[in-house]
This record gives sequence, structure tokens and C-alpha cells, in this order.
Amino acid sequence: MNVDRNLHYVATKRRVREDKRFVTGQGKYVQDVNLPDTKHAAVLPSPYPRARILSIDTAAAEALDGVHMVLTGAQLAEDCNPIRLGLKLPEVKWYALAVGMTRYVGEWVAIVVADDAYIAEDALDLIEVDYEPLDAIVDPEQAFEDKELLVHPGHGSNVLYHGNFLWGDVDGDFAKTDDSLRFRARWGRSSTVPIETFGALARWDEGTEILDIWASIQMPNFVELMAATLGYPLNCIRLHQDVDVGGSYGVKRGIKQSVLVGYLSRKLRLPVRFIEDRLANMAGSDAHGPDRIFDMDVAFTRDGVIKSIKIRALDDAGAYPGRAPFQLAKPISAIVGPYKINSVKYEAISVCTNKSGQVPVRGFGQAPTNFMIETAVDNVARHLGLDRLEVRRRNLIQAGEFPYQIPPGSKYDSGDYPTVLQKGLDLARYDELLARRDKARSEGRLAGIGIATVLEPGGGNNIFEYLMDPSAEITTFMEGCEVRVDPQGNITGIMGTTTSGQGHETMMATILGEELQVDPDDIRIVHSDSLNALPTRSPIASRMAIMLGSAAAGAAGKIKDRAMAIAAHNLDRPLEQLEYAGGTISDRNDPSRKLTWAEICFIAYRAYHKLPDGMEPGFQAQYIMQVPGGGQLPDENNRVQVYPCFSFQAHVPYVEIDPGTGRVSVLDYAIAHDCGTVINPDIVRGMVIGGLAHGIGAALYEKFAYDEEGQFLSATFADYLMPSVHEIPDVKDIEHCTPSPLTSHGQKGSGEGGYLGAPAAIASAVNDALHPLGLNLSELPMRMSKIEALINDGNS
Amino acid sequence: MKAAKFDYVLAESIDQVVDILDRGDGDAIVIAGGQTLMPMLSMRLARPATVVDINKIAELSGIDVAGDEIVIKACTRQAAALASAEVQTRLPLLAKAIAYVGHQQTRNRGTVGGSLSHADPASEIPLAALAMDAWVSLRGASGTRRVAMADYFLGPMMTARADNEVLLSVHFPLPGPDSRIGTGFHEVSERRGDFAVVAAAALVQLDGDGICGHAALAIGGADSVPLRMAAVEEALCGSKVDRDKIQSALGEIDDALTPGDDQHASAAYRRRVAAVLAERALMEALSEAENA
Repeated sequence: MNVDRNLHYVATKRRVREDKRFVTGQGKYVQDVNLPDTKHAAVLPSPYPRARILSIDTAAAEALDGVHMVLTGAQLAEDCNPIRLGLKLPEVKWYALAVGMTRYVGEWVAIVVADDAYIAEDALDLIEVDYEPLDAIVDPEQAFEDKELLVHPGHGSNVLYHGNFLWGDVDGDFAKTDDSLRFRARWGRSSTVPIETFGALARWDEGTEILDIWASIQMPNFVELMAATLGYPLNCIRLHQDVDVGGSYGVKRGIKQSVLVGYLSRKLRLPVRFIEDRLANMAGSDAHGPDRIFDMDVAFTRDGVIKSIKIRALDDAGAYPGRAPFQLAKPISAIVGPYKINSVKYEAISVCTNKSGQVPVRGFGQAPTNFMIETAVDNVARHLGLDRLEVRRRNLIQAGEFPYQIPPGSKYDSGDYPTVLQKGLDLARYDELLARRDKARSEGRLAGIGIATVLEPGGGNNIFEYLMDPSAEITTFMEGCEVRVDPQGNITGIMGTTTSGQGHETMMATILGEELQVDPDDIRIVHSDSLNALPTRSPIASRMAIMLGSAAAGAAGKIKDRAMAIAAHNLDRPLEQLEYAGGTISDRNDPSRKLTWAEICFIAYRAYHKLPDGMEPGFQAQYIMQVPGGGQLPDENNRVQVYPCFSFQAHVPYVEIDPGTGRVSVLDYAIAHDCGTVINPDIVRGMVIGGLAHGIGAALYEKFAYDEEGQFLSATFADYLMPSVHEIPDVKDIEHCTPSPLTSHGQKGSGEGGYLGAPAAIASAVNDALHPLGLNLSELPMRMSKIEALINDGNS
Repeated sequence: MKAAKFDYVLAESIDQVVDILDRGDGDAIVIAGGQTLMPMLSMRLARPATVVDINKIAELSGIDVAGDEIVIKACTRQAAALASAEVQTRLPLLAKAIAYVGHQQTRNRGTVGGSLSHADPASEIPLAALAMDAWVSLRGASGTRRVAMADYFLGPMMTARADNEVLLSVHFPLPGPDSRIGTGFHEVSERRGDFAVVAAAALVQLDGDGICGHAALAIGGADSVPLRMAAVEEALCGSKVDRDKIQSALGEIDDALTPGDDQHASAAYRRRVAAVLAERALMEALSEAENA
């Protein structure tokens, strides 16, 4: 890492290259890929949360003109394996269609392939399913206890994971400390709900024996899971990664959708497309986020110094967990937040219920965890009658203490939390904000300021999986980058995965341009397909700037080394005497003795006789980046470096609450953000503010609700409420830069952005507003009806 | 979310619409702005055999001042009604209500008649029309009839309009020239532009001595139909009105409402908030009337 050097492109405000195609309607999504003879699929949802499927009569649907096939779960299960889950739970069988039993409202029971989507839906009407409805398992705490009513009877309980971790002397710290408190906080069932639902198009090619698939995918292991489910060798599946993905932040893991179109395409020898409609997506996509109950004990001194915490997290993964339980493990990388907490006890429980399955969502469990930690800090301050800022200042890790190792073993790479917090307060004009709040209160309004100081672990690493399942000895989470220089000297960067709006092409071109001293606008970035891709773990986990960015710098370095070697050989000068400037390599002592970029490229491609001995012709380089600080298994105390880099953000929102209706208005918002070196300012700003809006949704509006019987209540955007432009205030934001020592240019992760702190900050503001009434709420989303009942109905 | 098959007719005249509805035997439906019908068709919650499009019928669009009333024709866009100087100045309660209907983009398509025909119990235009003693003109095969708002709403998404009738227009009576009138409209929804969870529309008319001669209060979202609060209105009429008087009159509101529960709000919430919004709407109306 070298951030002192003079940067030309990195950290410079430059156009985001992807914007042009999106703004002018030139993006290419799954829906835009047109193959001749493509057929269209539609799915039949279960109306029951839990029911035995006694019979399915598909005859009338199959007889409809234009229908090519009707597939049920029974048939699919004969030909395919269950989809592999994150944890090894052999009796939790997840198929793309319900087999024998439906486990939530909206679960897909059958799929129809027809000439068009209209006919496919007509055919759905003709499928007759005989169900025997059964009582559903809805409440996660009951699910945890229940031994009779089971979502997956063969599994023997509803508990998918139950683990206990202890880092440090928790009992001793609780005994030694002046005071403690206990509270419960609840994170509601929300998610990322992109404007593009999941879509997949598959074509089995009998000639090449390759299944081609175009999908709006964002996940590692996609092709491996497809292959394992369909029973194909891995090299029979080719994922086309050059389709744009219309939003994701974790949720575009449409493995069951892709298995279905893959299976149907091979059966029918026709291309089959399935684009979820909104109803199928909201209810049946297995794309809901964490739904979590935290019970927390905090031990602290009378000065508000937090010494130890005990956490019990019970998460409702729904009927099919996928990788959901791991969302309890990843936050171990920053389980004490930005605070110096001496010891931690962590009990993590994942249960299944009769709800749509859970999927990774932005932060992979970190946003709920941050909400819990920040709630704890606010509660300590309130309990002691201390200022929330003062309590934070007393607990924050200080700038001189990095790298800072937390009890579970992760070392925070760098940071300056007190300074960033102060920048946030200055930006918010905190003193004026206090005056504004107090004036509003004196006029009889409920007004509050929120504070949240949170971390964004970035860079990814699979080792948290090992913490839950020691057979998962996975110690790399690599990312590859290839750089090719063509005979004309143009540069092309190749990434091995999809992109879903994060601006990776700009990021990669910027770094390649910086390293090779070439205008990034002249560099092309392409996406290889999965069969010719370098190793990749996909753009998750706030990792691409760290991992792909560093890999791009590494590959560019190899290109430069190769050019230098060619120059040294042809100029007959030692390497140390040569200087690289914008592709031209010259003798420091005699600048007229030089080789231009064009000459170097000519030699590389055409003049073998001028290449150094043993050098292969051509001009390309590959670099595979390993997670910095990763590669280790945990020690005997379960201590391990989970993620490598830690970004920090300080949030200061201002809200007012209408005491008559409970409605919250977010009137002002300031955020200070530190993700190390910012590669492209507009991209980072987009992540910060977009994430913040997403977090306001989770805090106040968004919830996938089920009633007590398990009926699904949030199938449309009339009931699943996402914030609109009216609900998001003008956000004031400022960047601070504490470079990471672990990455090519000091960059850290920023993709999870404001989402990691906004829910905590809004909750803090609402509770500040309720504080004069002696009221407190720690359940998200903080819907107006709940707040109003707290204020106006003593019984609620 | 693809609609089931239906026949589409772009109607050229009201007679043609009536004819199709009459022959449709309950299976023909009118489309105007399509802001509720289109999603219902897509979700197959509505499966008409025939959809009759009235967007091209000139006589069904426009706002007329006719003597002591303002007539808004059924296919008039909500945005056009909101932008109308006549509506702004002479039907201020309607203007206040329409400002809460969806968003600019949906108001550009959505129609005044569409809101009245759909009759969502939390919808704003029906609520204002009810408070303003408006009436609608319905045309069927056997002729045209008039139905007062008080008799029009029968239940959630149910009205007195028969399947073979088309809504022609809504008629708002105008007050006398020297009336001191004020209006108020308040609603609460989770987000701006959502259907109201609860809404209140109020109108207060004072005489020269400041005595309340006429009061109207309508509550939406707290029962199966928008409702006038007759007991509250009676309690306010015939005397001077102030906040205390309004608060005491609103004691009657509870008995008049039978709200439902849903995931957005409990029945108890709707009851309490109905009173809060009613007070705000009446206070706003009173203050306007006093300053008129």
C-alpha cells in the first residue's frame, strides 16, 4: 500500500462509466437477452403456510394450447438433488418446488412453461392441487422450544444452529463491574427489494453439452450449486456474467429459479426464461432478510465504560435457510463495534418457521448487530444519566491503538473514530441541532437526535463458516483479475463475475489506469463467463474495492514488470536504471534511450527474437488476490481474523414525531464516513446515501409481515413499504480517509454503506424523542401505529 | 402478473358504453385512468370479459360551473381537477383532498370518477365529496339517475352504481356568496402518497355573529365506508365554536365508527387517530371560517 504517492485517477472525482448505459437505457438485463424460440415460465404459489400436498392434477393445464410442460415438485425431486444449504442439514431438504408439503404461503408448488407468460398464467389456473392444511409454526421463540410441530420433521427440531462462543472472562468482568443492564431488541423481517426481481434464462445446447445460463445473479458458488443440484459436472454450466443485475445487495441468489429453467430447458430442448413477477418475488423467492431477537446484558462502570457483553441472538430463517445461519456468524468480525469491550459471550440460534426463506442481505447480519450494539450504548447512557456522545467517546477505540484486536480475534486495520464522529457532529451543526430539538420540545413537539457510530467490515472471508461448522476448512476467499494488452497497446481488464450496480468497471479501470498511468477512459472492462473466469467469490461482502481492486493493482504490476523486462533487455540497461512513465520506459541517465509502449507491445506480440530469454510471447497478466490477514483457521479459543478491513461511519439524524399519530419524519441527516482511500467519490457517495435510505426503510417502514396463522401480509408494495424520495431527507455527508495498510491504495469496503448505521441511528433518534415521556422502543420497524400506541395507550 | 384474456373496446360515446355494460351482464367493466383496475387485472383479481375504455369520450371530461354547482365529469384527471382554478377557489376542500391522492404521476392518469367508482374506504376524493354533500349522476340503459354521496357508498369497494351503469359526473353544490366557510383535510399514512390509514374532512360555516350554521365532518379509513359524523355536526351547529367545543363534540365520534385491524394499524389506533385528525380538520376549518 502506498497512499503518499501522487494519485492521478484514484480518489479523483471522475465520471462513473456505468452511468452512461443505465441513464440512456442501454443496460442489458436478463429480460433483454433474446434467444429464438424462448419459452416462458410461471409458478403456482401455495395458499397455505403449511399443508400436505395430497395430489396435483396437471392434465387440464397441460392440455391448454401453447403449454409445453407442467412440472411439479415430485417430478423434480426424482431428477434433481436438493439445493445444498450452507450448514450440513441433510434432513432439511430444499427443492425448487414444494415436494409433498408446502412450508410457507407463496412457496412454489408447480411451474408451467408456455409460449408466453399470459398462457403460462392461464395454465396455472387449471392446475388442481388437493391440500391438507396443517397448523403452521410462526413464532420463532415457539419454534425454538417446540418438539412436536416441526417445519422439517425429519430434522427432529426447528433449530438449524445453536452455538455458544466465549471470548474472554465474561463472568469475571460482570462480577468486577459496577453496574449492568439487560434489554431486548428486535430487528424486523425486511430485506433488499430491488426493482428488478430475479430472472433467469437457460438454454441447453445438446451439441456442446453445455447449459448456458443468463441470470440476475450475485453470489459465490452459484455454478457449483447449479451443478450439484442438477447432477452435472461443473464444466457443463456456463454462466454469462455480462448481464447487468438490476439491484441486489445480497439477495440475488436465485438458485432455485435457475435450477428450474436449467432443468426445463434440458427437458424441452428449448430456451426457457423465468422472470419472477412481484408477487412471486415477495412471497416465494426465499429472499427475506434476517428476522432477529436480541437479548443482551451489558456490564459497565459508573463512568459508562463498557467492560463486557452477553448476547443471545435468535434468528428466524424461515422454511429454507440457504446460507442464512451464517448471517449470525459474520458479525463476529465486529461484534464489539468500534468499542473497547474486554469480553464477549455470544449465543447464536437459527430456527426455521413457516415463512419464506432467508437470504443474505447487505452486511450479512452486521446491520442488525450494529443496531443491537448501538442500542446497548444508548441504554447505558440513559441508565447512568450520561450524555450518549460522552459514553461513546469513553468507549471508542482511539486513533493510536490500531491495529486493534478485539476479543474474538479480528484485528481492526485502521481508523480514527473520535475524529470521524466529530466531523459528523460538526457537519450536523450539533449545537444548533440540540437547540432546534429543545425548541421543538418546548413547543410541545416530540423531537430527537440520533447517534450511531458503527463499523462496516469489508473484504469477505469464509472463515466464519468454520466457526459454525468445523468441517468447512475454507481459508481463502480469493478474487482474480486478468489484464490484457492488445497488439495496439490498448488495455482490457477482465473481471470474473457479475456486477449489480456497484460500479466495479469504473473501480477497476481507475486502478488499472492509476497503476499503468493510462487514462481509465481508454481502458475496457469486460466480464468473463464462468467457464473462462479466474477464481472469484463474486461481488458480495463489501469486498470488490479491497479484493478486485488489489488484484487489478497486482495484475497491472505484473504487466509493468513484463514491460520493464522487455525494455531492460532491449535497451541493455539494468532494471534499476529504467523509469516507467505512461507506458514509455527510458533510461534515467539518458532519457533519449527509451522504448515506447507501442514498441514494447510490438516486441511482445511479434518480435520473439527481442524477448528476454524464456519469456513467453503475448502481453497479459493474472493476479489472484488472497484475503489480507486471512488464511488461518481459528485458534483453540475460536479466535480468528474474519474480515480484513473495517470502515467506520458516524450518523446524526434529526427526527420529529407527531404525538397524535405516531408518525416519524426524518428532517435532517448528517453522516461522516471513512472507508480509507475513496477510489471514485461518486460511487462511494451513492453507496453511503443509498444505503442510508435502505436503512431508514428498515428502521421505520419495511416489513415482511405474517399473521399468527402464517398468512403472508406483504405481497405488494402497498403493504411492504419502501421509503420514497419524500421519506428521505437531504443528506449531508463528509468523507474522512484513514487508509488501510492492507490494500493496494488504502481502500476499504463501502458497498454496505449507510445501511449499517441508519437503522441504529433512527432508532436512537426516535428514542431520544420519546425520552421526555419516559418511553422507549427497541423493535424495528418502528411503525407509526406502534409509536402512537406507546404514547397514547398505556396498555400497549 | 399477466391479465387474463379480455375484450377491449375503445368507446366513442356514452351510449356505446351503456350498451356494452348492459349487454355485459356484470362481466364488462369501465376503465378510465386505470390506476386501480390495471393492477387488479394484472393480479387477476379482476377478470372481466370486456374492458370498456372511456378515455376518448370528450363529454366525460372537464369541469363546468353550472349555476349553484360545480360539475366534474367522471374522466377528468385528478391532476386537472387539482390544477383547476374553479376547484382551488370554490371547492377548497376537494383541492386539499386531491393533494393527498397518490403522487403527481398517478394523478396525471387517475380520474375523479375512478376514485368514486372504486370507493376504497380510505380514499380521499370520496371522503371530501361526502363532506361536501355532493351527488353523482349515473347513466344506465333505462336512463340517468342521481345518487347522493350519503346513499352511494355501500361497503368496501361497493357503491350504489349498478354493473350496467356508468358514472357520468359528480356535482358539488356551491355555498351562497356571503358564506363564511372554512375547510380542513387531514390524514395520516405511513408514507406520503399512500392510501390513508385514517383521514378526516371538515367544513365549517359561520354566520355574521360567528355562530356555526353548518358543520360537516367525514371520517375515512375507520369503517367499511367513509362516514359523516352526524352527532358531532349537530353538537357544533347553532352555537359559537372553539377548541373546547370541538373536543367535547368529538366525544361522540367513537360510537359512530367500527374500524378494522390490519398489519398497518389496529382498530384502537384508528379510533384514537380519527379523533385526533377530526380535531385538526375542524380546527383548520374553523380558523379559515373565522378569517373568511
